[in-house]
Amino acid sequence: MPIQILPDEVASQIAAGEVVERPASVVKELVENALDACADHITITVEGAGQKLIEVADNGQGIPANQLSIALARHATSKLTSAEDLFNIRTLGFRGEALASIASVSRFSITSRIREEEAGARLLVEGGQMEGGPVPVGAPAGTVVRVEDLFYNVPARRKFLKTDTTERSQIDDFVTRYALAYPQVRFLLVQEGRTALQTTGSGNRREVLASLFNADIARQMLEVNAVYEDFRVFGFISPVGLTRANRRGITLFINGRWVQDISLSTALIQGYHSMLMVGRYPLAALFIELPPNKVDVNVHPTKTEVRFTDRDELFKGVQSAVRRALLAHSPVPAMGGQLRWTPTPPQTFSRRDGWQPPEMAPDTQIEAASVMPEYKHQPVLPAGNVPLLRLIGQVGTAYLVAEGPDGLYLIDQHAAHERILFEKFMAEHKQSVASQTLLDPVTLELEPGASRLLEENLPLMGRLGFEIEVFGPNAFKVRSVPVLLSGVDPGAAVRVVIEDFEEDEAPLQDQIEAKIIARVCKRAAVKAGQVLSQEEQRTLLSDLETCQSPRTCPHGRPTMIHLSIDLLERQFGRTGAR
Amino acid sequence: MKVSVLQENLAHGLGIVSRAVAPRTTLPVLANVLVATDEGRLRLSATNLEIGITCWIGAKISDEGSTTVPARTFADLVGTLPDGQVDMDLVVQTQTLHVRSGTSNTDIKCIDAQEFPPMPVPDLRDGVVFNVSDLREMIKQVVFAASSDEARPVLTGVLLTVEDNLVTMAAADGFRLSVRKAELSQGSAQSMKAIIPARALNELARIAGDGDDTVTMSLPPGRGQVIFRTDDVELTSQLIEGSFPDFEQIIPVMHNTRTVVSSAAFLKACKQAEIFARDGSHIARLNITPGDELQPGSVEISAQSEETGSSEAVVEATIEGQPVLIAFNVRYLREVLDVVGTPNVALETTAAAAPGLIRPMGDDGFLHVIMPMHLGG
Repeated sequence: MPIQILPDEVASQIAAGEVVERPASVVKELVENALDACADHITITVEGAGQKLIEVADNGQGIPANQLSIALARHATSKLTSAEDLFNIRTLGFRGEALASIASVSRFSITSRIREEEAGARLLVEGGQMEGGPVPVGAPAGTVVRVEDLFYNVPARRKFLKTDTTERSQIDDFVTRYALAYPQVRFLLVQEGRTALQTTGSGNRREVLASLFNADIARQMLEVNAVYEDFRVFGFISPVGLTRANRRGITLFINGRWVQDISLSTALIQGYHSMLMVGRYPLAALFIELPPNKVDVNVHPTKTEVRFTDRDELFKGVQSAVRRALLAHSPVPAMGGQLRWTPTPPQTFSRRDGWQPPEMAPDTQIEAASVMPEYKHQPVLPAGNVPLLRLIGQVGTAYLVAEGPDGLYLIDQHAAHERILFEKFMAEHKQSVASQTLLDPVTLELEPGASRLLEENLPLMGRLGFEIEVFGPNAFKVRSVPVLLSGVDPGAAVRVVIEDFEEDEAPLQDQIEAKIIARVCKRAAVKAGQVLSQEEQRTLLSDLETCQSPRTCPHGRPTMIHLSIDLLERQFGRTGAR
Repeated sequence: MKVSVLQENLAHGLGIVSRAVAPRTTLPVLANVLVATDEGRLRLSATNLEIGITCWIGAKISDEGSTTVPARTFADLVGTLPDGQVDMDLVVQTQTLHVRSGTSNTDIKCIDAQEFPPMPVPDLRDGVVFNVSDLREMIKQVVFAASSDEARPVLTGVLLTVEDNLVTMAAADGFRLSVRKAELSQGSAQSMKAIIPARALNELARIAGDGDDTVTMSLPPGRGQVIFRTDDVELTSQLIEGSFPDFEQIIPVMHNTRTVVSSAAFLKACKQAEIFARDGSHIARLNITPGDELQPGSVEISAQSEETGSSEAVVEATIEGQPVLIAFNVRYLREVLDVVGTPNVALETTAAAAPGLIRPMGDDGFLHVIMPMHLGG
């Protein structure tokens, strides 16, 4: 067969195949155009799951009547003039393919009026063929694009569409995500005559979050906000207790564009390091803003894939922003999440990589309450304290099971004991630490580096109840230990503390004390696998009740998991899902 | 094997050896009791590889033999049998033990005795002979001071030394030291030194019988074991390897203050202080004030807790030397006062940061050292 140039019609249908895959892609392209046109009010009407009608109406800039037919030509765009612009893209679209592609596979009409003109113009296109020129019509300022009978001339594509429900939910998902990214824009999505999504355009993202997940989840989501030299990461992530079995709850935006980037979501998940169970994934709506020249969006016609010039930096940023937000909010992971925990104050200590605890834990509760007033009457548990618990027993020699007034509690015996020791120690430490003299002083031999560190910190150790004497080069005599540690091998206890000195290059005094105490308590606490007598278990619970922040161990891990009565009832099918 | 025993003897014997049974173990035979004929008596043995206990009971033996019977099953069964004769008959092929008593007939599945770890046979000729009641008293005064922390195994044991006719037991947990010396009624030809697990000594005190019986201790050379033997009971224990701290140098040789008080009154005051001290660091303060011509000396024992409150108790005392304010772990004080065994006790101290020494008045064989506590800052 001789080689020949494809006719225009065929070429544009092939191009359309890349851009317009399904009704949701039409919605995406049109909504992106509306957003690029600076609209602050976008109405999307869908019928027949998008196959019968998709109409996107905005109140944006509009297109002048004389440019209307150019707008429909392939590779026609107002968003970009030269190749250099391609590396500095600030708009969502730029390829100039969308309208042409959509028009080639549907019965298409575009009506537009720019604010300055009195009348608008309408252009009709069928299967890529213009039906005459633009005709003047009366229209509101902005643009209305009607796409009817999508794929009427591409029956193959039609065959591959999923069920109507799937297509509809794709559109829902997509519009919701853009509503989240543009909270200042009023979105109205009407599917089959029913309002599927309506946002107020108030700029409140959490409000939109409620339509992406649900009100309950939106309320629990933690706020992330981190500014780095080159970029900014903000948005919402789920607390540790709120997870999904897949990554689909993760939504990422780069410069207002919804992207699907496996490595970025991996960075996000890594931020939950050691906090998530295997096979569980967090929910998130994260927005990343970075200079347009640092990201290449021109990878794929649908632009859901992107490339970064500085990916390592970016991933590290996402990871640490997530981690920081999580550590700042470490309430009991309430399974089923029927209760509201007031976030506990940050429990973090300075990390090796120089993290500082956020200055202010964003008070998600106040904001959430104002968004969802119907939750105001939910019982609010007093910050920090645990309710009175009745011991049921020990499970797997690692966890205690207890009943509270509002359901079942699982308590990690090691983490709980760590917390108890920590608070006892800190309380005592404020006055003076009782120490117990050793019968036979323990001689410690250390490496030169460690011994210098210990020598410098002898006064601090003294305040913590360790009486240590220098006993020659690199040798020390431990004469007494804090009473709380009298059950522990004294040499090992001191060594643990020195390891901490080694980790911190320039620790702050007040922080290092707390950190050392936390470390030492970890050492002294009962371990998982230790069988506790009923009496010991009960003491552990009652001691935990008296703690000031009993819900996390001094290292920020939760001490308990809560299963509400409500959750139990739902799990057993006693009440319908509410 | 075919034997007849009395139910009460069998129940008694199983009760004694059951403490050495290892119920949860990867070696199933350790959950069993060895039952074997042995020179006209029936031998019952159990071991968890650390401690082994053997008990001999009188039996009428028709056929010699041996097997191992699941301890729990056997003991529970024997407990339900009526008083009187119990006949046991082993089918060797199937290792099934028929137990017959009165109208009951039971079969128990057993494990071949070949699989049971061999027990050492002691050479009792050069053993050291103790009087049971003396030995039990020594154990009681020392064993509580041993540590329960497995990180320092040596301190979980009791050091026992024998030299000529002097026997010494010492235990320490890092904060206190208990030393008991006694004279043997029959001198020993050789000197011995061993660290015996505190748990083994506790078991020994429990099973050693009573009154004027004697216990013979022997250390079979090169086996790392100690064997205690009475007429019908034998306890074998692994020794703890390592070197025990040189405790003699820890014992203070001089003092500045010597306080003599009634043991009972002191104990009562400590128990009272402990009620409050136990919430905090178990710290009790002793304010020791010597008397003068007008009034006797006194010890004020006080403790306080943030939550529960505070307590003070004053005990009259005869005090020589300077006044002193010293703090101790009140549990340590209570535990030693529980075992001193004399009406009066002396507390010798030098300074607030120096160890305190407790001696029963009129009993030179016992002494106890407690390290003080102090409040830093």
